[in-house]
Amino acid sequence: MESPIVRLAELVAAKLATGDAYAGRLAPGRRPLVTYQLDYAEETALYLGLDRRDLQRYAEALRRCLVLLDPRPGDTLAIFDYGTSPVAYLASAEYTPYLRRGAADALGCTTICNDGVTHMSARAAEILRYVRPRIFFLRLECLAPFVTACEAAGLQASRYLESIVATHNEGSLDASVRRRCQERLGVPIYELARSDAALFMAMECPECRLMHTWGDLYRVETVDGDSLEVVQGRPGSLVVTSRFARVCPAVRLLTRLEGRVAGPGCARGPGDLRWER
Amino acid sequence: MPLGGSTDDEQALGVPALTQPSPRGRGLIADRDFDERERWPEERWRRYQWRRLRAVLRTAYDSLPFYRKRLDAVGLAPESIRSIEDYSQVPLLRKGEVLAAMRERGTYAVGMETIERAGPWALGMTSGTLGTAFLSFPQGWRRETGDALRRAYWWAGLRPGMRMMMAAPAWHSLALQESWVAQRLGAECVIPWGTFLPRFAESFLDTLLDLRPAFVSLFLPMLYGLLAECRRRGQSPDRAFAGVQSVLVVGAPLTPGARQNLKDELGVGDLFEGAGNPEGLIAMECEQHAGHHCFVDTCYVEIIDAETGRPLPPGRRGSVVVSTLARHGSVHLRYEAEDVGEIFAEPCPCGRTWPRLEIYDRRANRFRAGGRELLWYDVRECLDEVPELIGTPFAVIRRPGGSPALRIAMEQLGRWETGSLGPRIEALAGQRLGVPLQLEWVEGLPERWKGVTVIDEKEWEAAHV
Repeated sequence: MESPIVRLAELVAAKLATGDAYAGRLAPGRRPLVTYQLDYAEETALYLGLDRRDLQRYAEALRRCLVLLDPRPGDTLAIFDYGTSPVAYLASAEYTPYLRRGAADALGCTTICNDGVTHMSARAAEILRYVRPRIFFLRLECLAPFVTACEAAGLQASRYLESIVATHNEGSLDASVRRRCQERLGVPIYELARSDAALFMAMECPECRLMHTWGDLYRVETVDGDSLEVVQGRPGSLVVTSRFARVCPAVRLLTRLEGRVAGPGCARGPGDLRWER
Repeated sequence: MPLGGSTDDEQALGVPALTQPSPRGRGLIADRDFDERERWPEERWRRYQWRRLRAVLRTAYDSLPFYRKRLDAVGLAPESIRSIEDYSQVPLLRKGEVLAAMRERGTYAVGMETIERAGPWALGMTSGTLGTAFLSFPQGWRRETGDALRRAYWWAGLRPGMRMMMAAPAWHSLALQESWVAQRLGAECVIPWGTFLPRFAESFLDTLLDLRPAFVSLFLPMLYGLLAECRRRGQSPDRAFAGVQSVLVVGAPLTPGARQNLKDELGVGDLFEGAGNPEGLIAMECEQHAGHHCFVDTCYVEIIDAETGRPLPPGRRGSVVVSTLARHGSVHLRYEAEDVGEIFAEPCPCGRTWPRLEIYDRRANRFRAGGRELLWYDVRECLDEVPELIGTPFAVIRRPGGSPALRIAMEQLGRWETGSLGPRIEALAGQRLGVPLQLEWVEGLPERWKGVTVIDEKEWEAAHV
């Protein structure tokens, strides 16, 4: 029998009812080594506990996202996001206790992270000028300030950067914002979709422009957001099961991501799961 | 089995597993000492420190073009530096020079940093009034300095198996070291969402209440932010911190009065203050809370006269100069961070032999009043003798060349009668600082001056016309 779909509101309710920081998700016999407070504006804070293995497999998801962008050993990857974003804390073992190898480490890349507050955008421009990262990951709300900061600093971003990746927990990049920022920067902007409660990541492919994710890491379904009826093959809300989370399992968690599951078949990842915004 | 799990990872990394310190020597005070090195006779640790300093100097000259050029320019070769006294001939390094080199080369890599691509490697930044500089944090740096920092956390009460709330976001130099400390000591980490700015106090307080860590590491402004958030929620701080055995604060000088007041208000077992910077300084209070023991295995600290560059003896205030003993990362030798501090002359009652340092303030925050040269810290320490004023924001209004009286603008937080406090503060300023006082109560310091400790008189007057 299929597990029921779990809404975020149920996690919130469970925490409020029991006082359990993990909202009843902590697996029996498992103890987290690292616990992150999640980026959700709910009635109560939500948390995710991870052990070494969870961290490593979660970092693998980020590594696969990076691979789609073709980073080379020796490249620097810059991040403009809070340290509590999995894009930051999974990027390098330097950042996170008990993480053996971060996503960037596994690819032989160096990382630099700028704090995710928008008024740090001038510092992000300094990173561009003096560090010359190949790829810059930006928190969605930092994208426009970054564009402005580069212009104010007289920096032609395309001289330094190959791509920008916008990312936000449960968010999406507005098409017109993307277009305007791309025009001003002269650099392509891709999207990394996340649902942190589900430990989910998916990366927009530069080639097919669909979101790639991976069946050995996740099970992804689409459902009608109201009835929760599975509508595989049609647009709907994504329901994600993490196949690797042990400490705080995520089983059929209803995310706020919308899309349609498409078939495999991109040359960059022939076996990858794909979904379309 | 330690909380950190198996030791396979540590062995694979080539680092011996260690979740408890290994007391090898005699004379350890049970459970408070990290190892016997902190009680080595002075002669022994000075020899050890000198050996390490010579090794770093040699490595810097041989491998780092920035230092080879610098030393060649003054005709100094490492082999000619035969004593710690000779070492003071190495030119002082200031942030402005690093920034100039960066701008000239158009890259962060100015030749003072080790480039280590085998293994995880992160870059970091330090910001300030002069600009943003970049730092190299290879795996070797994290291990070497993080291993040394375990001592600081041990002194502050972190033990294997404890749940620890971390101070800094992942990318901060302190977080890189702290995360290594936690892993090596086998602590469980909890991390609030956001970053360490006080406006994220809400998420920090949520984490404190939801996860009940036994050890809390915080930047001091965030701690004050937490207290403000407690007040906003009508939550008593001691209940918010219930279950916390130890708090470790960093990031701003804490007067003895303020430290005791915070400890009492939080109701925690103890509160420790650490001192450090990403350029190499690591220093930490012991349980006596009387200055910060410099970690002689990680840094060499000098106090010099800022005008003449001459070394000053213990007990004299001067400019703090730090040389890292870590051979990885961005190597800083005789780095003058432009802080004012002193090394205490007297031995610490704890019995540890490592010298004690106190950093009072930035040199830029010096001012003259009533014929005396003072720091903002001196005024803060004086005001903290009035319990109602501990932690109350104030700024010194500074006149070029000095003013006849100490002029301060203090926020009236509405909790007390200013009429009765004024004379008490004036009397204290006279007794403790030997200067007359001109006190102005303000509703609140304007946003642009929040956190600014010294305001130039011309700016202040212009804003209040």
